[in-house]
Amino acid sequence: MAYKLLKGIRVLDLTMVFAGPVSSRVLASLGAEVIKIESAIRPDVFTRGNVYPENDPGTDPWNRGSLFHSLNAGKLGITLNLGSDKGRDIFKKLVKISDVVMENYSPRVMENWGLGYDELKKIKPDIIMASMSGLGHTGPLHDFYMYVPGMEGMSGLTHMTGYPDEPPMLSGFSYGDWTSGGTSSAAILIALFHKKSTGQGQCIDLAGREALIANVGNIIMDYTMNHRVQERMGNDQPYLAPHGCYRCKGDDNWVNIAVENDPQWTDFCGVIGNPDWCRQEKFGNSLNRWKNRSELDKLVEGWTIDQDKFNVSENLQKAGVPAGAVLNMKEVNLNSHLIERGFFDIIDHGEGVGKRPIPAQIPAKYNNIEKFVPARAPRFGQDNHYVFGELLGISNEDIAALEAEKIIGGAPSFPPGRPTRLNLIQAQDAGQIDTNYTGELREKYQKDIGINGNVKKEVK
Amino acid sequence: MSEQAFKKVVILDCTEGIAGGYCTKLLADFGATVIKIEKPGTGDTTRRMGPFLNDEPDKEKSGTFFYLNTNKKSITLNLETETGKNIFLKLLEKADVVVENFTPGKMAALGLSYESLAKNKPQIILTSISNFGQTGPYRDYKATNLVTFGLSGAMYTSRPATHTSSRPVVEGGQQAEFTTGLLSFSATVAAFINTIDTGKGTWIDMSAQECLASTLGANISEYPYLGLSRKTNPFAIHGYPIGYSVPCKDGWISLTPGLGGAPNIPLLIEQPELLDDPLFTKPAMRMAEPEKFDALLTPWLKEHTKWEITKQAQELKLAFTPVLTPGELEEEEQLKAKGFFMKTQHPVMGEVTYPGDPMKLSETPARVGKAPLLGEDNVTIYNGLGYSKADLVTLTEQKII
Repeated sequence: MAYKLLKGIRVLDLTMVFAGPVSSRVLASLGAEVIKIESAIRPDVFTRGNVYPENDPGTDPWNRGSLFHSLNAGKLGITLNLGSDKGRDIFKKLVKISDVVMENYSPRVMENWGLGYDELKKIKPDIIMASMSGLGHTGPLHDFYMYVPGMEGMSGLTHMTGYPDEPPMLSGFSYGDWTSGGTSSAAILIALFHKKSTGQGQCIDLAGREALIANVGNIIMDYTMNHRVQERMGNDQPYLAPHGCYRCKGDDNWVNIAVENDPQWTDFCGVIGNPDWCRQEKFGNSLNRWKNRSELDKLVEGWTIDQDKFNVSENLQKAGVPAGAVLNMKEVNLNSHLIERGFFDIIDHGEGVGKRPIPAQIPAKYNNIEKFVPARAPRFGQDNHYVFGELLGISNEDIAALEAEKIIGGAPSFPPGRPTRLNLIQAQDAGQIDTNYTGELREKYQKDIGINGNVKKEVK
Repeated sequence: MSEQAFKKVVILDCTEGIAGGYCTKLLADFGATVIKIEKPGTGDTTRRMGPFLNDEPDKEKSGTFFYLNTNKKSITLNLETETGKNIFLKLLEKADVVVENFTPGKMAALGLSYESLAKNKPQIILTSISNFGQTGPYRDYKATNLVTFGLSGAMYTSRPATHTSSRPVVEGGQQAEFTTGLLSFSATVAAFINTIDTGKGTWIDMSAQECLASTLGANISEYPYLGLSRKTNPFAIHGYPIGYSVPCKDGWISLTPGLGGAPNIPLLIEQPELLDDPLFTKPAMRMAEPEKFDALLTPWLKEHTKWEITKQAQELKLAFTPVLTPGELEEEEQLKAKGFFMKTQHPVMGEVTYPGDPMKLSETPARVGKAPLLGEDNVTIYNGLGYSKADLVTLTEQKII
């Protein structure tokens, strides 16, 4: 669900791929008018062109990618070629009527176009400009080539992730990109608040790596205070045991259990039927359990291995012990608690895609505030007439002329749509594939999910 | 001359722990007056959480508490007493925002539900942070960072690309907590921006499970389109597992050959004769024979340090980066040049160095400041409410403050 909190705030979004779009999607979910700017020669290829409905790229793959739909719901979309003088002139006109410009080009691209903060400020003195990059726009390493692994790796987070006797690990869900985007929207909100209260704009230099450092700040304190370098510890949490991820019945099923204190230990033992080993001295108090945790973990798993993960979780929770199944993406999409709370919006993506649940990007729920379901992520250039015609007052003839000059509009330069290589995913055991997902979703949501009325289409 | 964005904003912070603490820390760092309301005697739970300065457990020496409470004020107040509640309502008169992370229902039980706060102060914004939100079947479930990781889906994806059925591992540190704190901060600031225009207060319901699930929206959306649940990072299938760590002379290096491959690797490892080898020109070949690929690389990597490798690789336009330990950040040249770490004085801890805020704003930067001692601001704040020194003695005897 989205809320009309940032009414009247307009954001020009030049960002691509992941981190930037997360940031602008947060602002769109809070009610800002976000105008995503692409061009025929520079579409947001990576997310537009990945993971199609029923694995079918169709004839307009750029309008069908699930990553794009998820990251860009609620935004408007226009096409404008900033590589041309006329394109940049139009962009400047848009800046004049906007509050925020956000970009994640490599450092200096905006300056080279004459669209750096100092220039934009001349056009719109109170503009907020947010630039996002891996390491920031200044400093000796600012032009490093890097992606998520660079941001996570150079923050201390990778070092802290994984088991002690195994290599440090990259997150499985591009967490670094999300954190960079989430932190960028937080910075923009600070600037918007300041602008509302004082009328002053400013520029923001957001380094994704620094956003991640902030999230391990407490660990870094051990070094700045004591010169101790903490090490990764798998699923351990000092002095808590049992505390871990335990295998359950079936294929690749797991449950997390986190016993925080002695009373919870007693309750835990009760749930598992008070086997004899529960009463052993070596597990008699928190410290003993922590010392003997590897032995304890094996005993706990000896119990969970024959249990259904949801039963374990529910029975332990009933007894007041923190526990929860490790949900896969199917189970998240079908999770009754998330659905009941409105974490997903059912968004109609139109012909060729239909309705699909899209998760929130900022899952805040407000009372007393007008709410709305975000519009589908923009089809390529879908809002050109609204933005160029209505907002800028450019006539239809002039719009047509700009289209002819390829300043606006046009079909995206796009590689041929390529289905996700499910065979490779299967061969590498890189994911679970459920062929009846449309049926499962329809039953759970009681809605016509998927391509209209088309009950089930074989996944190719 | 820089300004503080939230200089006129007053926050009553009833949170404990990391998520709520991080949310109000950001408000305080950017200028808000954050009055942290702590339990008399013990204070916030993070005061008992390590690391401690010189490993001496002490409520004024926790690095975790320090980091999460910079620039805040601290008062002690027992909200479970009638007098305590009345003092809270007096504080509310001057406040704009209340942030709390009690278990759902507890605020109402204390007589401090959103409705009763709004009755006293219609413009108030109440931000309620909890594990699973204020509604729904899991509302009363218990959770820790680990449990939240599992129930958000994040944990399922956290396995190495080469061992996809191994035991899932939680992300290092307390990422569910920090993510929840960050989003709670943004949600609160957005509500405040709306209040400037409309004068309307609101109650914000934040769930840690949902906050963490938001971070993997792209993964979650693959199911309704394709029935897919990835068990490892999504880059694996594009070629060689991207971003995996390989050992070098002094630690680890993060290898990211890139989607199109990494044609310059043979130059990096000083074996130009391999330039046309399909292992380096065709990502699929690397994927098919990862051991062979690694065997060519590791001998050279093991003879060089992470920074030597990184600098040379970057010259060759290879996205190789060092895996830095938490101990290698303070002296790292980029962070130093940017002045990322901050230093301040603390009456018990002495000079403290701590990681700065990542939001770099040109006109309203974050301010430097220490974390408060437990109850440090009792006298100033309670005097401001009209309580005399004698009143404070009585309140202390009654264990209200």
